[in-house]
Amino acid sequence: MAMRRVAIIGSGQSRFRFRRDDATYAELVREGVRLALEDAGIGIERIGAVVYALAPDALIGVSNAERWGAEAVGVDKPMMRLNTGGATGISAVQAGFYHIASGLFDVVLVAGADKVGECGHAQVVLNKIWDPLYERALPLNAINMLSLSAVRYMAKYGMTEEHMAMTTVKNRHNAARNPNAHLRDEVTLQQVLDSPTLCWPIKRLDACPQSSGGAAVVLASEEVARKLCPRPAWVRGVGNCAESYFMGDRMGPKAPQDHADATALGHSFQAAYRMAGLSRPAEEIDVAELYAPFSNTEYHAIDATGVCAKGQSVRLMERGHFELDGPFPVNPSGGTQCTNPIAVTAMLRVIEAALQVMHKAGEHQVPDVQTAIASGNGGDHQFFGTMVLSSDPG
Amino acid sequence: MLGQVAIVGVAQTSGAAGNGRTLEECIHDTVREVLGRAGVTHEALDTIVAASSDQVDGRAISIMLTSGALGGYGKDVLDTPSAGEHALVLAWLRLLTGAYHAALVVSWSGLEVNDLRTVQNLSCDPIFHRQLGLHDLASHGLQAGAYQSRYGVDARAAAQVAAKNRAAGARNPLATLRTPVSAEEVLDSPVVAWPLRELMLPPDSAGVVALVLVSGERAAELGRRGAGRAAWLRGVGWSLDSYWLGQRNLAELTSLRSAAQRAYAMAGLRQPLAELDVAELHDVTAYHELMAYEALGFCAAGEGARLIAEGRTGPDGALPCNPSGGSLSDNPYFATGLVRVAEAARQVTGQAGACQVPGARLALAHASSGFAAQGNSVFILSGEAD
Repeated sequence: MAMRRVAIIGSGQSRFRFRRDDATYAELVREGVRLALEDAGIGIERIGAVVYALAPDALIGVSNAERWGAEAVGVDKPMMRLNTGGATGISAVQAGFYHIASGLFDVVLVAGADKVGECGHAQVVLNKIWDPLYERALPLNAINMLSLSAVRYMAKYGMTEEHMAMTTVKNRHNAARNPNAHLRDEVTLQQVLDSPTLCWPIKRLDACPQSSGGAAVVLASEEVARKLCPRPAWVRGVGNCAESYFMGDRMGPKAPQDHADATALGHSFQAAYRMAGLSRPAEEIDVAELYAPFSNTEYHAIDATGVCAKGQSVRLMERGHFELDGPFPVNPSGGTQCTNPIAVTAMLRVIEAALQVMHKAGEHQVPDVQTAIASGNGGDHQFFGTMVLSSDPG
Repeated sequence: MLGQVAIVGVAQTSGAAGNGRTLEECIHDTVREVLGRAGVTHEALDTIVAASSDQVDGRAISIMLTSGALGGYGKDVLDTPSAGEHALVLAWLRLLTGAYHAALVVSWSGLEVNDLRTVQNLSCDPIFHRQLGLHDLASHGLQAGAYQSRYGVDARAAAQVAAKNRAAGARNPLATLRTPVSAEEVLDSPVVAWPLRELMLPPDSAGVVALVLVSGERAAELGRRGAGRAAWLRGVGWSLDSYWLGQRNLAELTSLRSAAQRAYAMAGLRQPLAELDVAELHDVTAYHELMAYEALGFCAAGEGARLIAEGRTGPDGALPCNPSGGSLSDNPYFATGLVRVAEAARQVTGQAGACQVPGARLALAHASSGFAAQGNSVFILSGEAD
């Protein structure tokens, strides 16, 4: 049985910033929803089902806040929420895709919001993702977890602090062209290197901000998409793969996976490519929106896409390969490094990939995009969701 | 036309049986048990959908630590913290696409949380509801009161529901409460949140529930297409009502009514009371079972009390409801809705043991979540393949 075709026909996102004292959580969700419905050119009555993206409840400080947000998406509709940590946004879009691909619904809304800037400090909350006995007490957080990965990547592939800074310079340049991005000031290599160290080798300007705002996506069946949208972004492939949980299980000679790499992300991309019928990613993909909250993690994310050999991304970055006007632009939106409203960050990757395919990305549009990929990483670098979007329905 | 999806295995660990093991160990053991029962290997699973609650488990992104216990390493893992039963909905949707053939669905509720009421209060919005001290029980009390006054329901009807379910639970080896109570004892028990009395409420239990779902194709390969060999999902509906209690008509289970309409339309069910053989209802309180009769169309609005008084939902009635004892006998809080589905699957495959309704072939399972049953899901299960 051939799977039903599904397309993204509209999206909306806030202008992200640190705090949004003017709006409650539910109002921020509604902000993204209103923009997405306007973009898709439909009213909320057309929405058959809703998928909420909301990551750790503790970041909002209201548990199961999706129930509070019922009005923001329209009450008395089928609704469920996904949470796979940082991957939540892409997991939710995937769930929306299944709603339609199953044959059950024609138009599905995927929505969410976050107020990371108002949670106190995100790293205090994120420390609580580790088990109370072993790793929580270290104390691990997202920054030192991924600085361990950076050190390992340096040792294995020769990445330097300058290489990390190059990523930041590129992403800030792109974000300056994205009106919705949170950090939009361009920076120089030297400014990155001179910024204070958070946890070596990660410095302040290697790190993502804590962002607040809402986002939403409208997905539709082929019949509806063809009627409503002149150039939809067809969902051609979805993938998902989980890593081990304990950091220690990714280190040492007997570890099944190496903390330098994003092996499960690679498996996830391979699954999405299989569904999309892609076999030569470097040639077949035009642009990538990859979840990379810290400059160093963009390298192993690029490696995992299969567009180059492991560690090769560092050399290619030196040559401008991943810049907005390079041969394989990565994060033309500025990426997670410039905007990180955790619950919807991975949804932004999908939205930005869709905007590229739909040729609606404005000043950060990559010319002639036909096929784009998106990814999301969640947990302690544990859950990896991927998608292939294309202007070709296949 | 929608594809075919069947539940080919269920397993459950109850709180008592989990003593001495960590939550992760209970999950691991339950998963091994359900895969064994289903005859599906871990390698053959192409998706794992869990439903975990950060608040109940006491850590952020609880699916992280539990993923290993689920066999999640290297697998496609998703998590639906909105409700235990939503994991089943999502796995079902995935199998319907035709791209996946075997799914593991798991939810759980630990007992280590210090105070479930405080945890529930944290799901109030910070501005209006939280200061009220609202939690599930208080909201259910408000709802039961609204229902009782709207239809002039005698408290005796709710007491009869509690007595019926506790009598059934006494036969269920997985239940937490296994002593029957009489309607008089229920009416004599202290008021906890008016009009709810202590014996009209579920206990706080712990537990893990796991199901294996397969596509029609895979069910055939496993030799599960014969009558009573699998529980086929014939209809599924789920819905979420308004959050604001002040905007809702609390005397009706609005989202249950619309979830049921969707599930019935899908299953081609017109007269549920006559056509169904058994129902497992999420009795978050005894009053809520009466309200569910009405929202599910077993009777007209306000007629729930008559249904129980006539014994039509009792063990010898036209439609036995909660032969497992329902959540009034066992209530692993966040997973209780999914337990209702597991019980219904046992019924239509003839595996319900002492709780078995003889000859049950078509079952309904109902699951509920949130304040004043804001969210509801309905599943129609058949023991017959099409």
